[in-house]
Amino acid sequence: MAVTSSTLTEKPHAAELPRAEGASVMVDGWYMPPPEDKDGRLWQRTTALVQAEPVELYEAWRDLRSIPLWQEQVVSVTETGASTSHWVMRTDTSSDKTVEWDSEILADEPGKRIAWRTIGGDVDQAGEVIFEPAPKGNGTFVTVLQEFKMGKLASMWETFVGRNPKQAVIENLRHFKAFAETGEIPRTQGQPHGPRGTVGDMKKGMYGEKIPTPPGSSVGGVS
Amino acid sequence: MKAVCWMGKGNVETLSVPDPVLLNPHDAILKITRTAICGSDLHLYDGFIPTMEAGDILGHEFMGIVEEVGPAVTNLKRGDRVVVPFTIACGSCAFCKKKIWSACDNTNPNAQLMEKAYGYSGSGLFGYSHMMGGYAGGQAQYARVPFANVGPLKIESDLPDEKVLFLSDIFPTGYMAAENAQIQAGDTVAVWGCGPVGQFAIASAFMLGAGRVIAIDRIPERLALARGLGAITVDYSEKDVDVLTALKDLTGGTGPDGCIDAVGLEAHSNELQGFYDGVKTALMLETDRPIVLRQAIQAVRKGGTLSIPGVYGGLLDKVPFGAAFGKGITMKMGQTNMHTYMKPLLERIEKGQIDPSYLISHRITLDDAPAMYKVWRDKEQQVTKIVIDPWATAVQADASRDPRVARGGVQ
Repeated sequence: MAVTSSTLTEKPHAAELPRAEGASVMVDGWYMPPPEDKDGRLWQRTTALVQAEPVELYEAWRDLRSIPLWQEQVVSVTETGASTSHWVMRTDTSSDKTVEWDSEILADEPGKRIAWRTIGGDVDQAGEVIFEPAPKGNGTFVTVLQEFKMGKLASMWETFVGRNPKQAVIENLRHFKAFAETGEIPRTQGQPHGPRGTVGDMKKGMYGEKIPTPPGSSVGGVS
Repeated sequence: MKAVCWMGKGNVETLSVPDPVLLNPHDAILKITRTAICGSDLHLYDGFIPTMEAGDILGHEFMGIVEEVGPAVTNLKRGDRVVVPFTIACGSCAFCKKKIWSACDNTNPNAQLMEKAYGYSGSGLFGYSHMMGGYAGGQAQYARVPFANVGPLKIESDLPDEKVLFLSDIFPTGYMAAENAQIQAGDTVAVWGCGPVGQFAIASAFMLGAGRVIAIDRIPERLALARGLGAITVDYSEKDVDVLTALKDLTGGTGPDGCIDAVGLEAHSNELQGFYDGVKTALMLETDRPIVLRQAIQAVRKGGTLSIPGVYGGLLDKVPFGAAFGKGITMKMGQTNMHTYMKPLLERIEKGQIDPSYLISHRITLDDAPAMYKVWRDKEQQVTKIVIDPWATAVQADASRDPRVARGGVQ
């Protein structure tokens, strides 16, 4: 083969890659890329360094009733059994329309890992979050892997909320981190400004500023 | 309240807008007593920073009296007098713990915009585009200050506002620029740009032991202020003056030990490269005009340090990276880690080592601000620094508008 035609993806002598397991970003010393989107299934993996102990963060994530405080557009999560819950999510910022689903916890390892999937309703998705100590005691790596079918949720989400569902996974982990580290979620909605004009209003959607910042521990005045 | 709003490129208006309210538990509401227009506000005025929107309240240099605090603010109370740093930091994330405050993880609600442009998001800033957080700024009568338990510096002495206002940005920024130049006792330091940040960089370079400071600009009143601080000045607009030759001549052919680019992305040049960058930025083929950066890389001595407090926003053309590598130089840059510098610099002011108010040439009202943006941009009326009293009437401000009356300090 001519030298010029060799490609960087060619690996004639490479060992076989180990298989990825869940949300992990590495296995046996190998970096694992996130799963590929295909056959109508979308994946989003995202990770954050949080200044807290893995067990504290596990407990915060596992507290289902507090999820509406930091996940975008989630109105309520109600426990319906030992490992099941009912979720209600707002779809349209200007009306009370909602999507609802039931969810089941598949794995629950205190201080380490939670995995879940939907078991009926408007949404078909599954996910996992893992909590791992960062090197040298520098906090905790929180890694989320979320899978969704391009169903009603994904399309409604994007149409009404103006947020790509993949970006919503990233933003939710960002909110979780801010809430865990500071006790609040940074926000600018509700602050004063001069007239935006038509173009400015259109751009709000582009910036993601149309999506209400989850309340965290806000003190009011939030639109 | 009244506030100075960005209404489009080259268009600033003073408008009546709603008062700010507490939104989060660590918020405070400040009644602003003094605020200033920064050189970097001109990058917004000239449309160089993306994600500004009509209606955005400008201003990131301000101080005032605490009006109201949120339930989680424990170190401030109503009536306290504070200076607010222009970068917002949470105090709890990995970066704040390392005291890299301007890289705070938790204060930019629009972090995804900056991640797309820069890979990672820095801290939120007041009044400096939606990409930088979209926070309403301080050229107004009131402002909401997030994480008020971390940022604002309490002023407990009776120093007048004008002596401490510049702790909000330009004094710490100039000081960090000098610190980033890694000055050893007796070093020669060259400073491009003798605006406010350049002035404080010059003063700070001397504080940190520089033996000689060379100041480069073209505006006579700025060069005069720099000479007043003890710098040797080079007017690059003078016929026959070549900056690189001047810097060689003034350093025994060695080059300055440290170079400070206090100009940033809107540099001017009479040479061909000035035309080149002008055309490319106008055609949106380049975002910044890195004329000073190129020159400073060329000028700094072998193994020297280049410190960059001047703002750059995007993609730069024709940067002589070979020269940077060939000479083995160090480059240090970035938004100021304000929270590290405010208290020590306040102590220097309290001890009388410096009176930052010497820079002020104009004292104005909020209603004067739109016109003054233009004056500042066009370098008219011998402007060196504009301070706004958000509660003054036109008559009160007018009395002190004459630069000869206004200027005090070290001159």
